[in-house]
Amino acid sequence: MTTSSKAPSSHPDFTKNADSRGSAKISRETISAISVAVLCLVLLFGARFINPALGSWSQVETVLILGFFLVVLSFGQGLVILTGGLDLSLPATITLGGILATSWAGTGDAAQWFILPAVLAVCGAVGLLSAIGVIWLRVPPFIMTMAMSIIVASALLGYTRGTPRGYAPDVAVALMKSDVLGLPTPIVALVIFVLTGWLFQSRSVFGRYIYAVGTNVDAARNAGVPVIATQTIPYVISAICGGFVGIALVGYSSGATLRMGDDYLLPSIAAVVIGGSSILGGRGTFLGTVGGALLLTVLGTIISALGLEFGLRTIVEGSIILIALLLLREELFQKLRSFGK
Amino acid sequence: MSTANTQAPINPLGQWLSRYATGAVLIVIIYAALYTVYAVQQPRALTSYSIAALMNNTAPLALAAVGQAIIVISRGFDLSVAGVISICNVTLAVYPLEGPGGAATSVAICLAIGAVVGLVNGYLVAILKIQSIAATLATMIICQGIALVILKAPGGYVAEWITYEMTDRVWQVIPVSGLVVGAVVLIWLALKRSIWGISLYAIGADETSAALSGINTLRVRFLAHVLAGCAYGLAGFMLSAQTATGNPTSGTPLLMLSFAAVALGGTSLAGGRGGLFATVMGAATLTLLQKVLFSSGISSFYTGVFQGVVLILAVVFCGLLARLGDDR
Repeated sequence: MTTSSKAPSSHPDFTKNADSRGSAKISRETISAISVAVLCLVLLFGARFINPALGSWSQVETVLILGFFLVVLSFGQGLVILTGGLDLSLPATITLGGILATSWAGTGDAAQWFILPAVLAVCGAVGLLSAIGVIWLRVPPFIMTMAMSIIVASALLGYTRGTPRGYAPDVAVALMKSDVLGLPTPIVALVIFVLTGWLFQSRSVFGRYIYAVGTNVDAARNAGVPVIATQTIPYVISAICGGFVGIALVGYSSGATLRMGDDYLLPSIAAVVIGGSSILGGRGTFLGTVGGALLLTVLGTIISALGLEFGLRTIVEGSIILIALLLLREELFQKLRSFGK
Repeated sequence: MSTANTQAPINPLGQWLSRYATGAVLIVIIYAALYTVYAVQQPRALTSYSIAALMNNTAPLALAAVGQAIIVISRGFDLSVAGVISICNVTLAVYPLEGPGGAATSVAICLAIGAVVGLVNGYLVAILKIQSIAATLATMIICQGIALVILKAPGGYVAEWITYEMTDRVWQVIPVSGLVVGAVVLIWLALKRSIWGISLYAIGADETSAALSGINTLRVRFLAHVLAGCAYGLAGFMLSAQTATGNPTSGTPLLMLSFAAVALGGTSLAGGRGGLFATVMGAATLTLLQKVLFSSGISSFYTGVFQGVVLILAVVFCGLLARLGDDR
């Protein structure tokens, strides 16, 4: 820890200059990212003792494919949380992506290649509306995205008349059910996505803008950060991520339902928080979030393999989130740090 | 609150608007306007039977929102509302206790369930300093699991005495559910003037200053979570009286709506501002809006679109009025 606290001086970094506690912050985030990753691996391979079928390569593949959905979602959610907001409209954008993809593929007159960008554009527009509400109309993010969620869900209910039709477009099936170089495509996509997301959030200029705005809006504005664009784009990205996961889910399960997104909202927030981000914004890394998302997915598969009834399963899941929160507490890290000195 | 008096009123109209129009008055006007529309569409809406039915529909959301408002005023979020209501509902459906004595025991059980969850939340948020939204997310999931363990699938019967008496009218006029909500608001009005109530607003406005001026923030937050939990318990009790059956996920729809009611009532989600009567009116408006949309003949598919738009407009409007007073 003492070595990493000297590191900031070697290369300039916007986030570290944002406040004087920067050095402590980095070590905290590094610790939580590493601990979450280690916990993930231990659980994945330790699960063999519970059930020999667990911990095998095919099991790892399943976890990574299922984790892909949550990683993509929590990337968008994480960006919005970084700016100090919250995106409660994810269930709606996931469902929007899934329903539009299947019904447009079902009508048959739209060209297949056209579906993916068109669906993502519609979802992005939903995110833009949320951002307009939050930034220009000054509606609290919590209320704005919740209202958007209610509006979109209701519009979809009307659009489908209660029963979604159509089938999964080729592009979605190709994404979820093919191989690249002997690896399932979703796993390759996961790796590419994590790399791109990490570069975007931690290494790009725009990523630093987001941290700056999330830490202190006024200071960021004075420093010349384009505040409005920086606050708008995370909502758009989050909505596009939701739409993309909707399409991917359709490719995975071959159909859309009106409630397909409901189970992803709370895990997306939990993944970000477990990954060490502050729910108040300005703090957190994407790699931590990826760890959180994979941890939740690993736990989900292990718990379901235990054969517990649904209620007990839910209790275990909640307890694990609670334990993770207790372990990642601020005070605990301060104690650890004071031991190091 | 009192600082507004010491500053020179630069924009008297704005100040007046922000003081009177952003509080309960605005939401009462919206409610009255909506009720007029409803009464024109459905002349039967003015009978005491319809009013009681509307109150019965409103009570669970109103009580859930009351608890939520207490936490929001102290600058927090409480997701556990969904879990507490579900546990209370399934408990009443699996262990029905008949008669007035049974009902009293049931209320006590519901309040106790809420208080216990509130204690856990209070411990996590006030003492362990976990962000309230994250801590209550965990407790909500655990509570939902407990509700599912008590009752796997919707079913069971709530005691007849409760379902009958709690949805009835006193002297054929005053709905019992309205009395329950009214009693809770009265208790709040007393609490608001207590040291705890003043401290709650102070913590919500600025926790550091509140702590520096000698407020025991730990105790105030702890008590806030326990009281909120009790309100959720009561909401679960009234919901069970209303539905007469058990459903392990019955609390989930009330989660988002409780925040919507709080926001509609003009309580700032940034803490330190707002009141419980306005919150109750916010909940009543949301419930009434559903009825009005239904009686307007709008396809039930699209009611959500209107609810969402009304919610956004109301919050924008409240915000505009508040800024008129704050800005010069």
